[in-house]
Amino acid sequence: MAGWAPPAAADLPPPAAPATVADAMVEVEHVTKSFGDVVAVSDVTFSVGPGVTALLGPNGAGKSTLFRLMCGLTAPTKGTVRVLGADARSDREVRGRIGLAPQQDALFDRLTASRFVELAGRTHGVADPTAASHRALDHVALSADETKPLGAYSKGMRQRVKLAAALVNEPDVLILDEPLTGLDPVQRNRMIRLFHELGDDGICLLVSSHVLDEVARLGSRVLVIAQGRLAATGDYRDLRNLMDDRPHRIRVTTDSPRPLAAALVDRGLVDGVSVSAAALVVDTTDVDGFGRQIAVIARELGARLTEVEPTDDDLESVFRYLVERR
Amino acid sequence: MSGRPVGSLDAVRLTYGIVVRQLVTRGRLIALVIVGAAVAVVAGAIGAADEIDDPLEAGVRVIADLGFTALVSIVALVFASAALGDAREDGTLVYLWLRPMHRWPIAVGAWGAAATVSLPLTVVPLAVASSLIDGGGSLTGATVLATVVGVVAYAAIFVLAGLLFKNSIVWGLGYILIWEGIVAAFGDLAARLAIRGYTRSIITAITDVDLELGDLSLAAGIAVPLVAAALALALASRRLAKMDVA
Repeated sequence: MAGWAPPAAADLPPPAAPATVADAMVEVEHVTKSFGDVVAVSDVTFSVGPGVTALLGPNGAGKSTLFRLMCGLTAPTKGTVRVLGADARSDREVRGRIGLAPQQDALFDRLTASRFVELAGRTHGVADPTAASHRALDHVALSADETKPLGAYSKGMRQRVKLAAALVNEPDVLILDEPLTGLDPVQRNRMIRLFHELGDDGICLLVSSHVLDEVARLGSRVLVIAQGRLAATGDYRDLRNLMDDRPHRIRVTTDSPRPLAAALVDRGLVDGVSVSAAALVVDTTDVDGFGRQIAVIARELGARLTEVEPTDDDLESVFRYLVERR
Repeated sequence: MSGRPVGSLDAVRLTYGIVVRQLVTRGRLIALVIVGAAVAVVAGAIGAADEIDDPLEAGVRVIADLGFTALVSIVALVFASAALGDAREDGTLVYLWLRPMHRWPIAVGAWGAAATVSLPLTVVPLAVASSLIDGGGSLTGATVLATVVGVVAYAAIFVLAGLLFKNSIVWGLGYILIWEGIVAAFGDLAARLAIRGYTRSIITAITDVDLELGDLSLAAGIAVPLVAAALALALASRRLAKMDVA
C-alpha cells in the first residue's frame, strides 16, 4: 500500500482530482495520444508508486497504449510521461530499470526459453545473465533445461516466458499487459502470488486486465480506463460496491407484461419500466429486492414468467456507466 | 538490481546474433541458393558457347546484367528488409528497443547480420560464374569486389526500408526494378542515385569493358556506396529513435 492514497469510496467515479501519489514512480500528466483521427488516450493524469496497481478496462479502452506510452514505445501527442523521473523514450538508463511483458504474443520462436530470457538479460546489461535467467524462469515455474523452441510452446507457457524476460533485469517498474491471459488456474494463482510478492518488495507493478475478477485478486488499487479516459481510480472494493449500486436493467419475458409492470412500479421495486407485447424491461437499483419479489408478484397476478435476464450485467456496461457519470 | 546501460559494441554484437538467428530460415536459403545457382549455370552455358568472341566482355555483361541486378540486390533486399522490418511487424522489436542501449548499434548490428548472410549467397555464385565464363582473374576480382560493395550498400538501404515501410519488399523491388532498371537509364542524377551504377563502374574500371551506367572511377564506385550505406544507417538509427514500436 506504500505510496498510494486511496480516495474515499464516494470519490471513485469520477476522479475528483488527479490520482497522484507522493512517492510516484510513474507519472502520467494530461496525456493524450491520437493515431490519426482516432484518440486512443484522452487527457489522462495519474501517478503510481510502489506496489501492485491494476489497470482495468475493456478491450480497446487504451490500456496497452498507456503502457506503451509509459515505456516510451510511442510518444504522447500531448502531455508528459515520466518513469522514475525520466522519459524512457530518450533515457537509456531508465529503460534498463523497466520490465515489460507486452500483450502481443511474438517471441523469438527459434530460441529456447532459457536462451530467450538470457538474451533479455544480456541486452539489459545484467551482470550474470545465465544465473539471472535461471532465477527468472524459476519464478514463473519454467525449466531452464527445456530444449523445446519457443515456437512449440503453448499460449500459457509463452506468457510465462514473457514474464520471465520482463523479470530478468530485476526492474524497479514492471509493466505487465494482460499477463494472466492463457494461464491455467494453478498458474494464475501462482502468478498472482508472485505479483503480490514483487509489489511487497517495493517494485512498482502495473498489471492490466479486462476481467474484473482478476483485478479483485490482484490488489485493491485500481485505475479504470474506458474509451481512452481515466474513468475511475481507487480501491477495488469501491468499484465492486459501485457495480452493485448502479442501476441494473433486467428483461422479464411474461404473458402479462402490463399488470406485472404496474405491480412492480406500485411496490417501488423499479425506477423505470418499458413494456412490449410479451416482455418488460425494468431499471432498478434494488436488484436483490427485485429478485426476491418478482416471482411472488407474478404468482399473485397469475402471470407466467418465461425469462428473467439482466441485460447489462457485464463489465462493459459498468465501464459505460462510469464514463457516462463523468 | 536493475539492468545497466549496455556498451555500444556489445549492443552491436547482441543485435547481430539475434538478427542472424532470425534471418536464416530454410525457405529463404533454399530459394536464394537456387537463384545463385541459376546465375552460375547461365554463366557456365555462355562460357561453353562456341560463338563467344570475347569471354571477358561476355562475362562482364552476364555478371553486371544478371548478377548485380537479379542476385546481389534481391538477396540483400530479402535479408536486409527483414532484419528489423520483420521484428517491427511481428512485435519482437520491443525486445531490442526497450533496452538500455543506444539506437545506432541496433541498426548497425542488423545491417551486419543482413550483410553477413547475403555475402556468401552472392559472392560465391558470382565468383563461380565469372570463372566458368573464363574471363580471367581480373573479372573474378572485380566481381567479388563489386559484389561486396553492392551488398554492403544495398543491405544498409534495405535495413532502413524495413523500418520505414510496411511492405518493404515491394518498395525495395520497386527501387530495384523501376528506379535502377528503368529510371536510372534516362538521367545522370537518377543514375547517381542507383547503387547498380557504382557496382557496374567497379567492374568496368577493373576490366576495361565498357558498360552503360559504368562510367565512374574505381574510387567513386567504392566510396559512394559506402557513404550511402553510412547515411542509410544513420537514418535507420534516427528512425529507430523516433518511431512507434508495437
